[in-house]
Amino acid sequence: MSDPVLQVDNLQVRFGTKRGVAEVVNGISYELREGETLAIVGESGSGKSVGVLALMGLLQQPPAAVTGSVRYRGRELLDSSPKAWREIRGKGMAMIFQDPMTSLNPVRTVGYQLTEPMALHLGIKGDEAKQRAVELLDMVGIPSPDTRVSDYPHQLSGGMRQRVMIVMGLACDPDVLIADEATTALDVTTQAQITDLVAGLQERIGMAVVWITHDLGVVASIADRVHVMYGGRFMEQASVDDLYATPSHPYTEGLLGSLPMPGSDRPDKLVTIPGLPPDPVAMPSGCPFAPRCSYSDGARCTQEVPELRVAGDSDHATACHYPLGVAP
Amino acid sequence: MSGFLLRRILQMVLALLGVSIVVFALMHLVPGDPVRVALGTRFDQELYDALRERVGLDKPLIEQYFSWLGGALTGDLGVSFRNGQPVTTLIMERLPATITLAFAALAIALIVALPAGIISAVRSGSPLDYGVSAASQVGISMPDFWAGVMYILLFALTLSWLPSSGFTPFGDGVVEWARHLILPALTIGLISGSIITRFVRSAVLEALNQDYVLTARAKGLSEWQIVRRHVLPNSWIPIVTVVGLQLGFLLGGVVVVEVIFAWPGLGRLALVAVKDRDFTVLQGAVLYIAFMFLAINLVVDIIYARLDPRVRVS
Amino acid sequence: MSDAVQLDRLAEKPVSRTRETLQTLVANRLAVAGLVVLTLLVVIGIFGEAIAPYGINDIDIANRLQGPSGSHWFGTDDLGRDTLSRVLIAARVSLQVGFIAVGFAIAVGVPIGLVAGYYRGAVDSVLMRMMDVLFSFPAILLAIAILAVLGPGIGNAMIAIGIVYTPIFARITRGSVLVVSEEVYIRAARSLGATDGRIIFRHILPNVLAPIIVQTTLSLAFAILSEAALSFLGLGVQPPNPAWGRMLADGQDFFQQNPWMGIFPGLAILVTVMAFNFVGDGLRDALDPKQKSVIESRGQSA
Repeated sequence: MSDPVLQVDNLQVRFGTKRGVAEVVNGISYELREGETLAIVGESGSGKSVGVLALMGLLQQPPAAVTGSVRYRGRELLDSSPKAWREIRGKGMAMIFQDPMTSLNPVRTVGYQLTEPMALHLGIKGDEAKQRAVELLDMVGIPSPDTRVSDYPHQLSGGMRQRVMIVMGLACDPDVLIADEATTALDVTTQAQITDLVAGLQERIGMAVVWITHDLGVVASIADRVHVMYGGRFMEQASVDDLYATPSHPYTEGLLGSLPMPGSDRPDKLVTIPGLPPDPVAMPSGCPFAPRCSYSDGARCTQEVPELRVAGDSDHATACHYPLGVAP
Repeated sequence: MSGFLLRRILQMVLALLGVSIVVFALMHLVPGDPVRVALGTRFDQELYDALRERVGLDKPLIEQYFSWLGGALTGDLGVSFRNGQPVTTLIMERLPATITLAFAALAIALIVALPAGIISAVRSGSPLDYGVSAASQVGISMPDFWAGVMYILLFALTLSWLPSSGFTPFGDGVVEWARHLILPALTIGLISGSIITRFVRSAVLEALNQDYVLTARAKGLSEWQIVRRHVLPNSWIPIVTVVGLQLGFLLGGVVVVEVIFAWPGLGRLALVAVKDRDFTVLQGAVLYIAFMFLAINLVVDIIYARLDPRVRVS
Repeated sequence: MSDAVQLDRLAEKPVSRTRETLQTLVANRLAVAGLVVLTLLVVIGIFGEAIAPYGINDIDIANRLQGPSGSHWFGTDDLGRDTLSRVLIAARVSLQVGFIAVGFAIAVGVPIGLVAGYYRGAVDSVLMRMMDVLFSFPAILLAIAILAVLGPGIGNAMIAIGIVYTPIFARITRGSVLVVSEEVYIRAARSLGATDGRIIFRHILPNVLAPIIVQTTLSLAFAILSEAALSFLGLGVQPPNPAWGRMLADGQDFFQQNPWMGIFPGLAILVTVMAFNFVGDGLRDALDPKQKSVIESRGQSA
């Protein structure tokens, strides 16, 4: 087994807000290996996006406070200088975002935005850069790339824009690609195209991907491993097959239960678990999911935070006092 | 784009038409008989009637309006009651002084406002930002005539560095031209600059909060690279808008400063015309000023289209 | 929008709109300072004669053109009148003209904006074209032209300034109405059979108040500047009633002998306008942080 490309250890992110300190990410740890696809799943407000923004050093501190350890190729990132961060961003680690309409600069051409990281990190400029931009557009299946390269973002369709975002992230052959809700703003068909695209590119380039999403349908098609996040913590982590076959956390069960049956129409957001996610400024004591959990015992669950514990000899771990399918 | 342009020109023409009606109506509501005032002590009934007929005041209002409008379209704005000179000539005489002051003030304003606005937005929340905000607050609250009077007090009367009034044309010597220009331009320029600073700051701040800035950061660009390449190109539109508005204002709305510095501009021409009941001059001057203002707005809209590729396509 | 940004917004959900507005406003120290100054001004405006040490027309030629001293804190003018007293009394005029003029502008401009934004189409075009025409004039020039018709004087100055500021309120109201009338509850009200009038006054108006309130304070600031400019030019308040602008003009004549005559009235204007601006900025931040209307700045001298 190769060394992990990315190691996250007890990452915590707190925000100072008008109403108090928001505990957004509360101690998550994971590893990412070369070529692996890790999916982090959770509702809005679970802290999943903030978690990866912290990986890239994109959170302004203050008002955020990031603690813990993030090691990229063995090197600790969290105490890096701004200059060191800039060398890694876009080159070693790249990130693509949810809404390609607002995430792309409307007054710069597609080609300009594509060639920017190349010029910055690889020193490729001018015609050579433009040529590479055209190649990249071609690689993601955009028709007539040589004319598209001079177009502005609003002249492309949503799916094409997202492809541009993807290939912009890949322009410098990063080791790690972080996709933050990259398919959420797209329709189902385009979603499928994009996930296939990333998987294909991954195989070709050997890149590791962290996929942030709230959509379990997407996860099933692309991930190797899945971490389920809630209230700033990991509730369950497993290989994708294990998670779908034998989920052991009540929250995961709820998420899977809201997946549509084959034959019905497009996957919904997670609306079938009653209640609301916890308020980061006023995190409940004990398990963050306890208030909404139908299996909560009302005592231990609301007092003691469950640790992630591995079941048996697999690497399937759950943070629950009463994991499903396991005798208490 | 030409469809867009055509519509804007049509709008401008309509507005100008409206302006001409308003101006004409206003002037003819002015109490006081201009012909009588012009004749003054030499009043004589026959002369009075003849003069009225000559000027066309005996014709119905509508006819007067159209003949005035027709004349205006060919560059003939009538004749001054005070001294018989063609109004157009009087306006043209004043134009160099007006334009000089307007552009000098705008130049000062931009030199101050652009760096101040951008830096205070990028370093938002810092002491520098608060300093700029405070200074611009004072700047926009300051009456321009008071500022002018203060500058005269300081630079002309106390220090005797600069003259306190008057306009010297460029052709008569650059140094004198500059010396007379500095104080009035500074007076209006700093105030105008304060207004523009606030808009620059808010435009840049707004752009900095956009998602594409996060994308640019994720690509590894430095803050100043991001400001230069991504933030500024998106900030120009609101900035151009306010600069255009300011320029329009500078061309006709600085009457008071013109009075203080005895600057022979269009605003003063209009003011004197009000006091003299010289309504052809007033009509012409106000119409001309409104025309310049609308023309500038049109130019601003055209620049929009150049700056924002999204507008171009529509 | 991304999770992180959403989270920030989530974390700062207001408890109740009015309470949060007031909380934000009070936390803004500049705005509070502005409110204090304004309250002081209103008190001065009402009780001016009781506070002022001298009468506004107490002529004292022997002591004319003096600088600040123990008996005359702001000095005296060319007729020996106490500058401080005249500055204090003039505050009333400025506030009166400011409030009435802006009141006029709101009374005319807001209904125009409501009608134009709600009915749209031809009505909107015609009304807004009319506002455009008014907007085509630099503010002070328009005021001067109107006063040329009406004649100088305090009442006419109120009307003139009111007319000048009507288009801004019309535009801002219309802009808000366009946005609000797209909301679902408006369509719901209409489908329940509510009349247009009821919809406009009970549903739309309350929701467009925020920008109008902000604009009111800012326009008050500019209206006071306009009044000062007009009285400087001799077109506003007529002597012997004191007005800050007029006092400044008189001061200019005697600059060599006693610059203080002109300095203090100008300072009074500056402080008053700043106070309104601080309160206006504070209100804007408290009510709607995203609102930055370009149209607000109508230029300085008016």
